[in-house]
Formats: sequence, structure tokens, C-alpha cells
Amino acid sequence: MTKKMHIRPEKAAKTALVYLLVLFVSFIFAFPCIWLVLSAFNAEGDLLTLDGFFPQEYSFDTFRRLFTEVNKYDYRRWFTNTLFVAAVSCVISTFLVIAVAYTISRYRFKSRKAMMKATLILGIFPNFMNMTALFVIMTQLQLINNLWGLILLYSSGSTMGFLVQKGFFDTIPGSIYDAATLDGASDFRIFLSITLPLSKPMIVYTALTAFVWPWADFMLPSMLLVDKSSWTVAVGLNSLDDSEFSVFAAGSMFVAIPIIVLYIALSKYLIQGGSAGAVKD
Amino acid sequence: METVQQAPKKSVFSDWRVKLSCAFMGLGQLFCRQFTKGALLMLLEIGFILFLVFAGVENIIGLLTLGTTEGVPIMGIEGDNSVSMLAWGITTVFLILFFALAYYANIKDAIYTSGEIGKGNRVKTFFESCQALLNKKFYFLTLTLPLLFVCVFNIMPIIFTALIAFTNYGGEIVPPKLISWTGFQSFRVIFTMSEYIGTMGKILGWNILWAIGSTFLVYFGGLGLALLYNAKCLKWKRFWRIFPMFAYAIPSFITLTGFYFLFCDSGPILGVLKDWGWVSENFTIISFDSVWSLRLLGFFCCAWIGVPSVMFLATGILSNANKDMYEAAKLDGANAFKQFWYLTLPFVLFATTPVVISTFINQFNNFSIFYFLRPETVYAPGYFNANSSDLLINWMYNLTVENRLYSLGSALSLILFAFMAIFSLIAYVMSPAYKKEDTYR
Repeated sequence: MTKKMHIRPEKAAKTALVYLLVLFVSFIFAFPCIWLVLSAFNAEGDLLTLDGFFPQEYSFDTFRRLFTEVNKYDYRRWFTNTLFVAAVSCVISTFLVIAVAYTISRYRFKSRKAMMKATLILGIFPNFMNMTALFVIMTQLQLINNLWGLILLYSSGSTMGFLVQKGFFDTIPGSIYDAATLDGASDFRIFLSITLPLSKPMIVYTALTAFVWPWADFMLPSMLLVDKSSWTVAVGLNSLDDSEFSVFAAGSMFVAIPIIVLYIALSKYLIQGGSAGAVKD
Repeated sequence: METVQQAPKKSVFSDWRVKLSCAFMGLGQLFCRQFTKGALLMLLEIGFILFLVFAGVENIIGLLTLGTTEGVPIMGIEGDNSVSMLAWGITTVFLILFFALAYYANIKDAIYTSGEIGKGNRVKTFFESCQALLNKKFYFLTLTLPLLFVCVFNIMPIIFTALIAFTNYGGEIVPPKLISWTGFQSFRVIFTMSEYIGTMGKILGWNILWAIGSTFLVYFGGLGLALLYNAKCLKWKRFWRIFPMFAYAIPSFITLTGFYFLFCDSGPILGVLKDWGWVSENFTIISFDSVWSLRLLGFFCCAWIGVPSVMFLATGILSNANKDMYEAAKLDGANAFKQFWYLTLPFVLFATTPVVISTFINQFNNFSIFYFLRPETVYAPGYFNANSSDLLINWMYNLTVENRLYSLGSALSLILFAFMAIFSLIAYVMSPAYKKEDTYR
């Protein structure tokens, strides 16, 4: 009896602490977003016109300007470009990353360890320095101002990040594979009908990161897209200075909101694991 | 009978079909009645020879000389472009290496097939060879395209950059002027001129501190948040997870530009603090001579951006943990803390070791934080073309893009690369995920 009485206030204090921490974390994450969203509705564009943190007067004027003043900011064009690059490279790189990670995790072949070490060394190389060289190479391949050039770079770049997915595949019990091999399934079949369904959360995670990188990247497009009509949103928005702060805030909302919605809709897959309980020893 | 015994060790090359394959790709395969494979291989060699004749030799010579006639645009003389000659030279070397590999594989294949014929086995048809790709050689199928990509877009630029370090490319010497090989000149400049070596020392020190500090912050912040949101007493978990998801989802160029505007001189944070009288009128967070205010802001922004991604990964891995282990631990009387310390933590650390390493490398080379947060382009006193908060990668950006010192920037990146490569290889080889890959199988 006394023991039970003792535990309850302790548990309540723990719950309170958890909620306090969660509230604090939520505030830290939410405040800059709220600030940015409200700034987008600022009636005047300049950063200095904010009263304290928030605008004095709210209006939809910035949004009207964003979509109608085409010769100043061709936002619709930038947005379509970004969507195209992100969607295509998402499909290609998800396919490549999963295939590579699975292969490296499951097969033991001659150059396997050498490949993993080489990947690490390549990843260390400061990627900005590659970019000077990349610019020259892309010029030689005539892929400057070309969205397909960006897609190629993103697909090959994200393949280099396969070690995360490999770490996931390493945790899938080997006994599943042994069972399937005994049943006479070919390796390709095993991959299609066992590995892929088991690693659904990891695939969603991979696809999301593969989508978000090109969607949000600034460095590569700012370097390879010189022509204003081939710009992505990142380059376009970055060309605005602080007197156009509201336009920047409004423009960034359309970039951020689709991903936020996507993440919230897919959060189940991000978190759910596939392997637990697949094999009962 | 005796003659056979005198030559017991028959060389694998003694078969006439192998010799044919050594002489010309695919010939041996043709005589092993593998017509499709043989024809494809012969086409490959013919194509390669044509390439060498029409472009390859010229490209190799170009790589060695980097151009001989200087272009004078005013007089309409179109000279050699050293930079593109360098690029095509490297490509040609790559192609030759690839061809050598293919040739080697071709000979090995001929040895194998003639051996099978010698044993009296049936020769594989082209269709059967393709089928083997789906099974035994599955790795070959999945790795070829990514390897090709990596060669073109990762390895070639690196070699290109490494070679530029040994030229005089940069400053005044850019096309149409001719570039030439200068050996270790750029390295000599870096190590002898005091402004370079001084700036490099200061920036390297801060860069290491930044990489360790921010990796620690992001990794354990993310792990802590994952455990916090996993707490049993927390209701509406999916709702609370929405907030870090904001930070995860918003592209970092928006976040960082937003934070810049929030904390800059005309921004609201400073305005409000000044209104309340908490700081003096000329207090700034982002300015060319600010050191720790800007660095701390960098840490904050880095945590804001980076923690959620580690958190989601850790949450996924936590849900992937073997549930039986926990049931067994509970039966053995382990309390929640013990379960965490002996089951959760080792498992999460095991599965996320690559994340720690890649986070460290990303943070070491985190370009965007101090690119977007930097003050208007005025370099800090005591630094050569850099600010006190700049990381090495920002410094290299300043050197190459803003000041066009390509060969110096490349030499610098080579030094940096050697340093990082040794460090992270040691870290990776010593990590548990590399040593005992099969622990959790």
C-alpha cells in the first residue's frame, strides 16, 4: 500500500516534466515559423516595418504581387522547375540508394569493404570544391541551365548516402533470407517480395530525403542555373533583398507547406518499423 | 602418354581460344560458340580503337601540355581552352582504365568458358548469362549504374580539383589565357605566407570545435527528443511530433535566411531587446567583428535544423528494436533505466553509427549555416578573406568564387581532405557497426 502511494506523485511529476519539456521544444520549433508566416501577410514589404515581432497591418497584397508581377519574380516558373527536378530525382535516387544499400548489406563480394571505405573518403571531400570542377564538367557536357543536369547530380549524390539504409538492412534478421533461399526463391525475388515490403518505412524515409534535398537545395542550382527562366525557387527567393522580406516569406510558404503536409501524412511510415515480429525464433 | 605427364601444369593461357581473346576481345568467345557475347565484345573493342584514333590520343596530349596556342579574342584567334582540355584528358584516362578492366574480364571469361569446354560441359548461352545476373551476380546488376554515376560526378571532379592544385589556374590566369603545370607552388604559398597559415590555423581550430560541438548537439539532441516523444505518459504523440517536423520540412535556405532576418541589426529580436533595455544601443549579433555571438547563433540554428532529422531516424530505429529482448529483460526484472542503458542505447548506437559519422562530416563541411548567417561581405580583422565564424569550406568559397584563387583553394582542400580522410577512416573502422556487422541478425 505505502509503496503504491509513493509512486503516484513521482509519476505525476515525471509526466509534468515531460509535458513541460515538450511544450518548450514545441515553442522553440513553432515560433520562427509563426513569425515567418505572419510576416508574409505584412501589408508593407520591408523588414523594418515590423512592430516588435509582428506586422502592424495585415493584407494579402504580397501574395498578389508574388503571382502577378511576373517580370520581377516569375514565381510560377520557379515552382514548376523545382517540382520537376525534385520529383524526377526522388524516383531515380530512391531506386538507386535502396538497391545499393541492399546489395552492400546482403552480399559479400571481393571489393565490398573497399567500396564502403571509398564511399566514406569520397563523402569527406568538401563538396564545395567539387563544385568548381563540377561546373567545368557540366559546361563540357552542355548541362548548364539544364534541369536534367541537376537531376543527374542529385541522383548520383544521394546514392553516396547509402550507408544509412545499409545500417537498416543490417538489422533485418538473416534467417528470413535463409528461409526464402531454402524455399527456392531467386535473389531478385527475395529482394522484391521480402526485403522491399519489410523496409517500407526506410523506403519512405529515403524517398522523402531524396525529394527534399533537390527541393530545398540552394548551392547547386545557384551555380548551374544562370538563366532566370531555369531558376528554382531557392535561387529566385535568394535574389530578393531585405526590402522584399514579405515576398520572401510568402514565397517560402509555398515551398515549405507541401513538405510539411507530406511529412505529417507519412510520419507513420517514418517511425514504424517493419522487421519486429517478422521472424519468430 | 608420357608427353602429357611431362607437362602437368598446363597454363590457363595455353588454350587457343584464350589466346584469341587476349589478342582481340570477343574472338575466343566466338570460337566457343558464344556468338552474341563475342560480337558485343568485339564491337566494344572496335569502338574503343576508333575513339582513341579520333579523339583519345589528342586528349592525352592535351592533358600533358594544357594547350599550346593562346587565344586572342580581339584578333579572332581561337586558342586552346586549358580547362576543358584538362577535363577531357581526365575523361580519356578514365575510359582507358575502364577498357582495361573490360579486357581483363573478357580474358577471365574466356579462361572460364574454355575450361568448361575442356571438362566437357555445355557452354552457357547468352540468355543464361543474363539470367545469372538476377541471381549469383545480382550485385553486379545493382552496382554498375551507381558506380558509373559516382565516377563521373564524384571521382572525376575530385581528381580534377586535385590536379588544379598543381597548376597556376586562378587569379589573372583564367581562359583564354593558357594554364600550365607548376608542381607544388600553391602548397609552398600556403605554408610560407603568414596570412594564409595564420588564417588557416585559426579557422581549422574553430572548424574542429564546431564539428564536434554541433555533431554532439544534433545527435544527442535528436536521440533525447526521440526518447522524450516516446515517453509512455505523453498523449497525442503524433500531434507533438508536428512541431519538429516543421523544422525538418522547411528548406534550410528559408530557415537560415529567416534566422538571419530575425537576428540581424534591423531585425525584431534586437529591436525588442533594445526596447526592453536589456542590451545597449550598439549591441549586434551579426557583424563583421562579432565572434562568439555569431558562433552561438550558428550552434542554435544548426540544432534547430539538424535535431529533427536525427530524431525521426532514431524513432524509426527504436520501433525496429527486437521486442522480444524487452520482454525477456522485463521477466528478468530489469527496470526502465536498465532497459534503456543495456538494450536501447547499444542498439540505437549500433544502427546509427553511420549517422554520427555522416553528421560529423556534414557539420565539418556545413557551408550553408555561416554562408546565410554571415554579415555583409566585410572580412574580419586578422583574417585573410574570411570572417571569424567562417568554416574552412566558407573560406574556400571566399577564395575560389569571390576571389577566383582556384589553385590555392584546391591545394587547401587537398590538405583538408587528407586530414579528414585519416580521421574518419579511423573512426569508422573502429566503430561497432563496422566490426560486428552481423550482431543484430
